[in-house]
Amino acid sequence: MHVGVDIGGTFTDFVFHENGTLRIHKRSSTPQNPALAMLEGLRTLAGETLQTLQQVSHGSTVATNAILERKGAKIALITTQGFRDVLFIGRQNRSQLYALNPQLPAPLVPRERCYDVPERLDFRGEVLQPLDIKALDKILDDIAKQKVEAVAVCLLFSYMNPAHEQAIRDRIRERGLLEDWQVALSSDVLPEFREYERASTVALEAYVRPIMGRYVQQIADALPSSCHLRIMKSDGGVISASTVRQQAVQTALSGPAAGVIAAHYLARLAGYDNVVTLDMGGTSTDVALFAGRPTHRPESQIDNLPLRFRLLDIETIGAGGGSIARLDAGGALRVGPESAGADPGPIVYGRGGEQLTVSDANAILGRLDPEHFLGGEMPLQLDAAQKQMEQLAEQMGVTAVQAAAGIIEVANININRALRRVSVSRGHDPRHFTLVAFGGAGPLHACDVARSLRMPRVLIPRYPGVLCAFGLLVADIALEYSRPVMRPVTIASVAEMRVMMADMMRHAHDDLKREGVPKEQRRFRAILEMRYKGQAYELPVSLSFGKIKAQVVEAFHETHERTYGHALRDREVEAVNLRLQAIGIIEKPSIEPAPVQDNSGADALLRLSTAPNGQRLALYDRELLVPGARFPGPALIFQLDCTTYIPEGWKAYVDGYRNLILEDIAQA
Amino acid sequence: MSDKITVDAISLEVFKNLFASIAEEMGVTLRRSSFSPNIRERLDFSCALFDKDARMVAQAAHIPVHLGSMPASVAYAVRHFEGFLQGDVAILNDPYRGGTHLPDITMVSPVFGPDGLEFFVASRAHHADVGGMSPGSLPLSTELYQEGLIIPPVKLRMSGWFNDGVLDLIVANSRAPQERLGDIEAQLAAHRIGELRLQDIIIEYGAEAVKAHAQALIDYSRRMTEATIAAIPDGTYRFEDALEGDGQTESEIPICVTIKVSGEHMTVDFEGSAPQVAGNVNAVSAIVRSATWYCIRLLAEDDVPVNHGCFEPIEVITPEHSLLNPDFPAAVAVGNTETGQRIVDVVLGALSKALPDRIPAASQGTMNNFTVGMVVNGQQYVYYETIGGGHGAGPSWHGISGRHSHMTNTLNTPVEALEFTYPLRVRAYELRDKSGGKGRFFGGDGIRREYEFLAPATVTFNSERRTRPPYGLNGGKPGACGQNTIIRADGTTETVGAKYTARLQSGDRVIIETPGGGGWGKTSSRKSKR
Repeated sequence: MHVGVDIGGTFTDFVFHENGTLRIHKRSSTPQNPALAMLEGLRTLAGETLQTLQQVSHGSTVATNAILERKGAKIALITTQGFRDVLFIGRQNRSQLYALNPQLPAPLVPRERCYDVPERLDFRGEVLQPLDIKALDKILDDIAKQKVEAVAVCLLFSYMNPAHEQAIRDRIRERGLLEDWQVALSSDVLPEFREYERASTVALEAYVRPIMGRYVQQIADALPSSCHLRIMKSDGGVISASTVRQQAVQTALSGPAAGVIAAHYLARLAGYDNVVTLDMGGTSTDVALFAGRPTHRPESQIDNLPLRFRLLDIETIGAGGGSIARLDAGGALRVGPESAGADPGPIVYGRGGEQLTVSDANAILGRLDPEHFLGGEMPLQLDAAQKQMEQLAEQMGVTAVQAAAGIIEVANININRALRRVSVSRGHDPRHFTLVAFGGAGPLHACDVARSLRMPRVLIPRYPGVLCAFGLLVADIALEYSRPVMRPVTIASVAEMRVMMADMMRHAHDDLKREGVPKEQRRFRAILEMRYKGQAYELPVSLSFGKIKAQVVEAFHETHERTYGHALRDREVEAVNLRLQAIGIIEKPSIEPAPVQDNSGADALLRLSTAPNGQRLALYDRELLVPGARFPGPALIFQLDCTTYIPEGWKAYVDGYRNLILEDIAQA
Repeated sequence: MSDKITVDAISLEVFKNLFASIAEEMGVTLRRSSFSPNIRERLDFSCALFDKDARMVAQAAHIPVHLGSMPASVAYAVRHFEGFLQGDVAILNDPYRGGTHLPDITMVSPVFGPDGLEFFVASRAHHADVGGMSPGSLPLSTELYQEGLIIPPVKLRMSGWFNDGVLDLIVANSRAPQERLGDIEAQLAAHRIGELRLQDIIIEYGAEAVKAHAQALIDYSRRMTEATIAAIPDGTYRFEDALEGDGQTESEIPICVTIKVSGEHMTVDFEGSAPQVAGNVNAVSAIVRSATWYCIRLLAEDDVPVNHGCFEPIEVITPEHSLLNPDFPAAVAVGNTETGQRIVDVVLGALSKALPDRIPAASQGTMNNFTVGMVVNGQQYVYYETIGGGHGAGPSWHGISGRHSHMTNTLNTPVEALEFTYPLRVRAYELRDKSGGKGRFFGGDGIRREYEFLAPATVTFNSERRTRPPYGLNGGKPGACGQNTIIRADGTTETVGAKYTARLQSGDRVIIETPGGGGWGKTSSRKSKR
């Protein structure tokens, strides 16, 4: 049995696959110890002994929360002499341009535990000053007294020569202070230039490694030894529990990744390869674009701390169902980024929320059915929301319904802006993409947002609420290797790079073997990051192994031209990093489409209703819609954990996978 | 098309997002395709949209100093040329004709709708070298001509036709010609995106609706700014501080301000400030306005889009022939960076008398400009860096350490990128302990940065707060002064002036220590913990 488990703040979702059938399980999370709900759920599914479990893939926010709440390990940092404040100075800038009291994020390591040791390499990695072991020992004496759980090491130019960093780890081991895995070296974690970003990344790694290590161990201990435990990373791939102890921080931005992977997988199955995903929850919205394959970015940040590693290019904005609406001092209607969250939540939830939110606006427009909201378990407090909306409407000089529609419009323009960032700004025309919407609120807003970008089609998966858990089932194993090159692209350097690449391939094969991936399931992608001499940022160019120097350089010119609109063919081209992505394809659940029979969906029609804005809406029950159903908007489709809104001018179709395919009649 | 354009709370917010996203997208394009570390790594640029009367509608700024000075450029270009045709791009850097200092090159181009010219898009980027008497184009000059190539507003492109001669002329005057070409290309790419996106929304909503909302947004920002001013108690508030010299002499150069607040309007009068000086610290009045507007923007409770409306309720008066309104061709190289910071110090100082419970003590008050020129094996190197320092403490907070403050927010060049590119080495880059001013709340600490030169170099310091420390407030102590030191290879150590240029040899070192921020409040019996 293969299981995907996604742990959220409120619910822990399970999707499990056995003998060609997929099933879903949902239970309340146990935030104090997230593993509890997970293990209980697994026992419910697979029996007390868990013997039938072959593979458990897990998305965890343990690392994320440890960072956000500053509840990570007690760590120390060791840097090159003269650079102990690297984490405090950062890039010298402040995050708010106009603030009377600009503030910095709380540090992960107090300054007293940042040490600098005499040693120095030059930019080629050659030793200018050897590591001073005596001085190091003094530092280690101090560290020993402080009882730290992990040490981060970031020396200048260690990516060109890791010897000094490794010598520090050796010394720590010799003195019996910590085990090797408790020492995070920047030359292992991120062998790339830019000392602040590297130091920040390795400090974050050391900060979450002990916690992630313990957490994963706890789960692994409960599972039978024959079961593979895999953890989702921020790049949309999974890694084994043992690898997590080396790359713990890579899970820190994995929250939205699984849903994105699932959305793309399902869309592809349904025949759409170019998709933009829209995951709208209570406090935020995540969007991402796939042009045939996922798009990645080289760095991100968490709580204003930079994290540099390849991750899915997901744009997150503070617009969700709980986003608060207000009229500002200049008379503009603002929505978010402040959120009522899950607690107290929107007014209509009746849990003490007093501020109008996007969900309240949807409720007032009749888009959350009072009888079917969360399967009818939670009565909607419409009156209270209506009263607040009338107050806002009075200030705006409009009706309550118009104000509610305005809140939706403003929320949608915020989402539109995020979608533009991942599409238009990156040179993709949204008209050639399908919008896959999920999360609690995504399907309510999807059609309006799609129309504003002239996207012709929206796909709502059968279970939009458990997409993350499903994504865990279909995510492949992904490992990444990188080596700095930092020299011009010449015939000689290309030959050297080939040798480096062969070496990385050997490592990758070993690692994939350890992950249990058979040879024929291994895929590789070699990438060379290059730039024109003098540029600060590099561009990745796919490197098929046999390419000669002239082809490598030309491929870079073309990439530069495609990305920035111009190439500078007379300039020297510099190789910055060599990368290898190794993929272990895992067996996917086979999902066969059901036979499709044309029908009007009438069996699923609950009733017709008139929304407060006068709109006649047909209300459908998603559970009863069968493949082949076709019907026009305006309509609302209810299911347990979300509602889909289909405006006028759109038509709906239920495909063999029971996806809802919504098409804009004007664009079709 | 609708007959009547209505602006309401909803459409206002929608257009606010539309305009902002265009400026933002221009900025992304400029950054990603530019060449010089100064733009790509340090983000020393801004992009903005203007209406056809050259009033700013939206701006994506990374640096406050560009805030109020971009409009001057666009206004001058629009006035200077009789008209703009589709496909035109104007370029300029002349501080006396819409610019600020010569390295800041501004480009302006028109956006046409179906009925003719409707908007302008503009970009400004700090180019690392535009010629002049020292590398990096921030020399210790005594007239504008020494600071580099002066570009009056000229058309770089006319009806889509490139004036290659202009481009060649600009490029030929830079010590890093290839970089200039790449960066100018990048600015053009940003304009292309801005034009396209504006045309998209004109097609989608109609030119009248877009213009009506541009006006509505200007009104909106004006209302927000008026509300900000109205919250300041009416009255007259004065403050005075001084620069430490102009690179020619070390005598102090006073800057005085008198702020009169009356209801929703304020007058900011710099009468009493020094007459213009021989050296490079004169600031054209666009800079004075930028710095003043920045201070008021700090006080706004809400997130106010920066546009023409922010400027309307504030009248800025700069006396003629003065440091803050000099006559051509007075030298202005660092008026933009150093004098700009001091203007913020005096305006906030005056406001602290009106709002003692909101205004923080002085931050480091300088950008610690450091420019280096080297020639090694026939290869020219031009390197420019500014260094962060301590922030002033406030009535309820400690100042942050080692960061840029007020009029700048540029990033540093990573040491690992620096040493890879230039024949120099950074030996230390750390906080300067105890340099923040003491008080109930502590000022932030400055930075200590040490360079070692691996080849002969010409270096120029343009800094401030080396003798007059950043002030504390309400009994808080001032921050520590900064210090510039040269250590020769033979060990000779020399503390040099705030503005200084020197010839260095291989093995020589430079240590720059930046000022700490001022403290706030008396250190009382309850000793505050940092």
